[in-house]
Amino acid sequence: MRILIAEDDAVSRRILETFLWKWGYEVTTTVNGEAAWDVMQRPNAPSLAILDIMMPGIDGLELCRRLRRSPSNVPPYIILLTANQGVREIVKGIEAGADDYLTKPYDRDELRVRVQVGARIIELQTKLSERVEQLEVALNHVKQLEGILPICSYCKKIRNDSNNWQHVESYVSDHSQAEFSHGICPSCYESTVKPQLESLRISESSESDFSN
Amino acid sequence: MMFPEKMIVLDQANHDEAADNGHPFPVASASVIANDAVDMEVLNAFEELQRDDGSDLIVELIDLYLLDAAERVSQIREASIATEWVLLKRAAHNLKGSSGNLGVRQVAEICQKLEWVDRHDSPTAVAALIQLLEYESAMASSSLLALRQRRLG
Repeated sequence: MRILIAEDDAVSRRILETFLWKWGYEVTTTVNGEAAWDVMQRPNAPSLAILDIMMPGIDGLELCRRLRRSPSNVPPYIILLTANQGVREIVKGIEAGADDYLTKPYDRDELRVRVQVGARIIELQTKLSERVEQLEVALNHVKQLEGILPICSYCKKIRNDSNNWQHVESYVSDHSQAEFSHGICPSCYESTVKPQLESLRISESSESDFSN
Repeated sequence: MMFPEKMIVLDQANHDEAADNGHPFPVASASVIANDAVDMEVLNAFEELQRDDGSDLIVELIDLYLLDAAERVSQIREASIATEWVLLKRAAHNLKGSSGNLGVRQVAEICQKLEWVDRHDSPTAVAALIQLLEYESAMASSSLLALRQRRLG
């Protein structure tokens, strides 16, 4: 999993980067809010961001608000780093869109488990997003089979969207995930197949009599 | 001087050596290394994060800190002269963070006090606090430089 760090303090940034690298994460570091925003706009942007609240230019809170305003299937999980233990700053951070926060100086084990929580949430969101996508595709197929379909009264072909007449089997296969296996129903067996078999038998019997 | 019992005299040779090495602070003598400006346990805890590529994370962190601290102390001094309290607080905040990370506790504590400074505080008290910061910062830098030299062999 890729993680973005936005931290203007070089020592803090290096330590944080090293922790995350040690725990097996792929890390992208930025030194201010503007650079972090640019990284998060790229395709395949990191799915978790650790943002220092106090940065020159775009600070952590503003960056958080911008990230929450920008549309995304799987919004990034945001952890804010705050030097202030006051409730007001924490509330401001959560209101800006942060999922979690850590107070500096943080305990490394606390950082590790909070990042793990973020990774779990992202995994769930990703799975959920994939399921929604699959459902949307399925729903689209269902919608395509709704409505009035022009069908030939004799051969039962269906007129498709390209104005071509298509066998009903191939039409349904193209517009759904259904597949056909062919068989004979009892009624058709009695009305069509049985007379044909009878006729064949008679024909074979005549040929045999003739040859004798 | 406010803290005569803590003051150390750094000889000119050490100054020159530090300058030759490109460091903003003089190299510490053995007695200075023994000061309590830096909590070595905090720094030693980074050993477990070392990479296998031959680089030394602790040396890297010391270098980053020394560069940053020198600049921040200077910013704090300039901001106090210009009575730019927002800039002073921001620089103090940053220095507090990096100092806390490396176990430079006295500097971190002074920075915390500086974060609360505003126009209502007496200029003499603020100046004294900054003087203390410069002293503690120099002590810490000396210790860190000594450690750096030891690690590089």
